[in-house]
Amino acid sequence: MKKKQVFLAFLAAGLVLTSSVGSAWAYFTTYVEARGGEVISLGDETTITEEFSEWTKHIRITSDADSEPVYVRAKAFCNAYEFEYIDPSERKDKWTPGADGYYYYSDIVEGGGETTELLVHIKDVPTDEVDQKDFNVIVVYETTPVQYDENGDPIPAAEIDWNGKLDITRVEGGVE
Amino acid sequence: MKRMKRFLKSPKTTVIAFGLAVILLLFSSIGGTRAALTYFSETYASRVQMSNIGVTLLEKSHNDKEFKAVSKRDYSDASNGTWSESTGALLEGMLDKKSGEELTIGKKYKEELKVQNTGDIKQYVRVSIYKYWVDGKAEEGKEAEKIPNLDPGLIELNLVNIAGQDGSGKWLLDEDASTKERTVLYYSDVLEAEGAQGDTTDPFTDTVKINNNIATKVTQTTTTKNGYTTIKTTYDYDGVGFCIEAKVDAVQDHNAEDAIWSAWGRRVTVENETLSLSTVQE
Repeated sequence: MKKKQVFLAFLAAGLVLTSSVGSAWAYFTTYVEARGGEVISLGDETTITEEFSEWTKHIRITSDADSEPVYVRAKAFCNAYEFEYIDPSERKDKWTPGADGYYYYSDIVEGGGETTELLVHIKDVPTDEVDQKDFNVIVVYETTPVQYDENGDPIPAAEIDWNGKLDITRVEGGVE
Repeated sequence: MKRMKRFLKSPKTTVIAFGLAVILLLFSSIGGTRAALTYFSETYASRVQMSNIGVTLLEKSHNDKEFKAVSKRDYSDASNGTWSESTGALLEGMLDKKSGEELTIGKKYKEELKVQNTGDIKQYVRVSIYKYWVDGKAEEGKEAEKIPNLDPGLIELNLVNIAGQDGSGKWLLDEDASTKERTVLYYSDVLEAEGAQGDTTDPFTDTVKINNNIATKVTQTTTTKNGYTTIKTTYDYDGVGFCIEAKVDAVQDHNAEDAIWSAWGRRVTVENETLSLSTVQE
């Protein structure tokens, strides 16, 4: 009986003493947080307009209104006749030939904008109807998004890497 | 003697004695109440001066001329022990929205962040920075859903004043706790109480940039209709939002090693008020 009383007395004393331990382990702390960001807008939709008259193809590339700015290049193929490119702009400096056979448009095409005309003129077409052949003039064009340097200035068209590799994820959309 | 005995045995005497006992008991409790009031008043006055801790995150974004407080959380004993807190948004001054400026990929935007002690006691601070991508088409008022499969490394938040990088930095990079998405920094100096010299850290970032390579990540979907195959290419990062989150923790300078271990779970060493990260974790 006496032992039990002593045990209970020690237990009571222990509880009283340990009640202060909680406050000894508490430290003054505080915190703050904040976050923010912006939405990325990529992507462009462009269309090509071709008109044919007097053995000349008139090419113009137009960008949709909500497209991001792009650079453009174009190239023509003809299986039957020789042809030449003509830049009808006043200073003849809008379309520049590259070593790869493409003609590069020097300006940035903004969303809703379009290039000036590039003419593809078929040369030495026979006037005699008997000698004429069926032929196609195929125009291929490509665009690439305008890139910017760290100051926010556009990287010039001449410095754009048109052969840069894409990191592509391929998805099968099925057969309709 | 007989009279005395008669007096003590008398019922009147009993009633008088009982009345006196009641009066004594009442007076004794009044004295106790007075003592209690005096005691609490003194303790309260002492606590006011010791326990106000507070911290504020400061930002100078691209179009800001000066640092401004973005978020703060200060304890105020003077206001009955309440927390004075406000949470703002980062990057609000990144673009000139009035002129309709849009984000330019590849451009470096100024984004300086630092921490100020806005409490009455000295403190140590650490910062956790998170970078991630979210759904940019989330409804207003709803939290945008995180997109974990996009690369946080393309959000380039440039760190500055990091110890070991330029020799004089005071921010310690905790490489063990850092990942591609999260960066944890500890400030080696103690921050003095608000108003004193040394109450603000050096900046830990200076610019933010979205890497041009986001335009090379595309998905091509191939569909076949009436015998014709169409390949549609879409940009993986078109329409998504980048998000930067900064969380600042502050802890008292007294018994700092144990306090940091208890509050943040990180072993540190503090010598001459300079904090360093311990290499061995327990």
